[in-house]
Amino acid sequence: MTHKTQSIAYPYFVVALLLFVLQVIVGLWLAVQYFVTVPQAFVNVFPFSTARAMHTNLLVLWLLLGFMGCTYYLVPEETGTDIAWPKMAVAQLVLLSLTGVAALVGFVLGWTQGRPLLEIPTTLDFLVVIGALMFLANIGVTMIRAKRWTAVQGSLLGGLVFLAVMYLFGIPFYRNLAEDWYYWWWVIHLWVEGAWELIAAALTAFILIKLTGVDRKVVEKWLYVELGLFLFTGISGTGHHYYWLGAPKYWLWVGGIFSALEPVPILLMVVDAFRDVRDRKTAIHPRLTWVYLVGMVVLHFVGAGMFGFAHTLPMINYYTHGSQVTVSHGHLSFYGAYVLLNLTFFYFAIPRIKGFPNGDYNQKTGQFAFWLTTLGVLGMGLAFGVAGVLQTYLERIQGQPYMVAQEPIRFWMAIVAAHGLMVVAGALLVVKHLLTLKPATWKPAAEIGRVVAA
Amino acid sequence: MSNKTAKLIFWIGTLVSLVLFLALTVDTSRQFAALTHADKLDDQVVAGKHAFEHRNCNDCHTILGFGSYYAPDLTRTYSRIGEDAIIRRLQQPEVAFADDFRKMPQQHLSQQEISDVVAYLRWVSNIENHDWPPQDSQTRWKSSTDRLLAAAALSPGAALIQQENCLVCHTLGSQGESRGPRLEWIGGRRNASWIAGYLADPQKLAPGSPMPDFAHLTPGQRQMIGEFITAAAAGRGR
Repeated sequence: MTHKTQSIAYPYFVVALLLFVLQVIVGLWLAVQYFVTVPQAFVNVFPFSTARAMHTNLLVLWLLLGFMGCTYYLVPEETGTDIAWPKMAVAQLVLLSLTGVAALVGFVLGWTQGRPLLEIPTTLDFLVVIGALMFLANIGVTMIRAKRWTAVQGSLLGGLVFLAVMYLFGIPFYRNLAEDWYYWWWVIHLWVEGAWELIAAALTAFILIKLTGVDRKVVEKWLYVELGLFLFTGISGTGHHYYWLGAPKYWLWVGGIFSALEPVPILLMVVDAFRDVRDRKTAIHPRLTWVYLVGMVVLHFVGAGMFGFAHTLPMINYYTHGSQVTVSHGHLSFYGAYVLLNLTFFYFAIPRIKGFPNGDYNQKTGQFAFWLTTLGVLGMGLAFGVAGVLQTYLERIQGQPYMVAQEPIRFWMAIVAAHGLMVVAGALLVVKHLLTLKPATWKPAAEIGRVVAA
Repeated sequence: MSNKTAKLIFWIGTLVSLVLFLALTVDTSRQFAALTHADKLDDQVVAGKHAFEHRNCNDCHTILGFGSYYAPDLTRTYSRIGEDAIIRRLQQPEVAFADDFRKMPQQHLSQQEISDVVAYLRWVSNIENHDWPPQDSQTRWKSSTDRLLAAAALSPGAALIQQENCLVCHTLGSQGESRGPRLEWIGGRRNASWIAGYLADPQKLAPGSPMPDFAHLTPGQRQMIGEFITAAAAGRGR
């Protein structure tokens, strides 16, 4: 940590991590409902739909708060100045957290806009917009005042502005359902396969520069290429969501071709990361941060790249669209790309915010927690995948009625839930480890005492 | 690769894709009206969409394949189960899904809201979306009917039943007379070779039967009649 205001990131991380725990607990309950019969009286009060809205909104909220925290940590170091208005950054966190709580309580009471992932009502949308404007103003002014532009900063700011602008397309009510979904994907797809990738590329490049000591020029050069490919494939790749919503047939070609290329920039990111690791000028240290970093780039490619490619071509997607295959891809890619990105950054930043020497920390339970969570998510993703292939065959090809085809899927959902338990346990351990991070044990006792007191 | 080339890749890649995407968006917006039959998108349909969103239906069901995957896709519900069944499910889900291992919440919809949702689902079912989903594909239903009709018309057994005027005494489906037993009932009890043998000499297998013999047909023809009758039986080949 080079600047005092970087520590604003910490409360963001704390809130994000707590929401993460809540998200996976609700997720476990969702999986259970697939194989256990919930009584009608309970369903009337707390249906699947409410829990699902909570699960997805918690995900989006905690990932975004995480990104914001990462940004507050990164910007002072990149620009060489403190955050312009640190108090406003805290106010922004309070505003967004309260909005989140209001949204969750609202869902239980039936206060919803009813569009998946964008359920929060218009009133709350405006609070989110205010929060986003506070954030962008704070970051933007800090960067402009500093007048020290880097590609990392540019990519990050570009991604954040892109993200905020796209959110606006999700706010209005659309009369026509086809048009509704058309612009819904401007939010969802252009976030995860556009804006968020810019943020991910920037944050990854930043960590790589800091951890490997590789020349910034090399990292930033490849960052440009990554970004160019991400946006080239990602923007027109939106078309892979337009196959079956009542849009013209050319989207089958455009969506198919561009989205089939989407794994390329992710692969480039993997190659870049491994090249930087190979050419590192420092020791691999602390090990767990590296495990997270490598885990992120690899699982980003597996979840988003490979599992996305598997069902992106129209002739396959015709049968798999809107089945558990989508769910499999969704879980693996969100975890691989964005959950691990946040956690990697947290592991990088928290020891530095706390002032541990060399950014080192005690990794003991962290290793176990990483593997528990990761193997849990992988097992869950594969079980969703089996369920999805079964559903595709039984319902879409054989023509069995939906509920008849769901019967054999119940078993695989029980497998999902079993892995869900692993994920919940793993997430609890990760969060506990991150929030109670201790300096590395080999440090002299006096130094530990000093850090804890600080 | 130089830094300059890298920047060039960034700008060209981004701008090419962006321009293409925006151009196609303009064209798609123009075509939506025709593809979704926007002329039939009246206020009741919109009211139905509001009710649908207000009850958060989309976080259990998919529609056009988007949403949650806990309950059936609603794109073609209107053509799959029809208006009455939709109304029954919306009014009394606790009755409609009493035997199911997944329940639908009672949403306390008014009569007006129910007919709005029905209007909405009717409009959605007509969106031209390249015949998705496959399980409700119109092309598939049509080819299934075509196959059925073609098989019946070409079936030698069916042709022989016509030619021999079997339906002067027997019933098949909604056709024929009720002097003898219904052919599906026979098909459900006997196998094809038994029927073929019976046709050759009814008295041998059922003494005293009023059934005339069909000894003038070849054994192969009698077998074909037997196969057609067993295939027509309920629970066989359906």
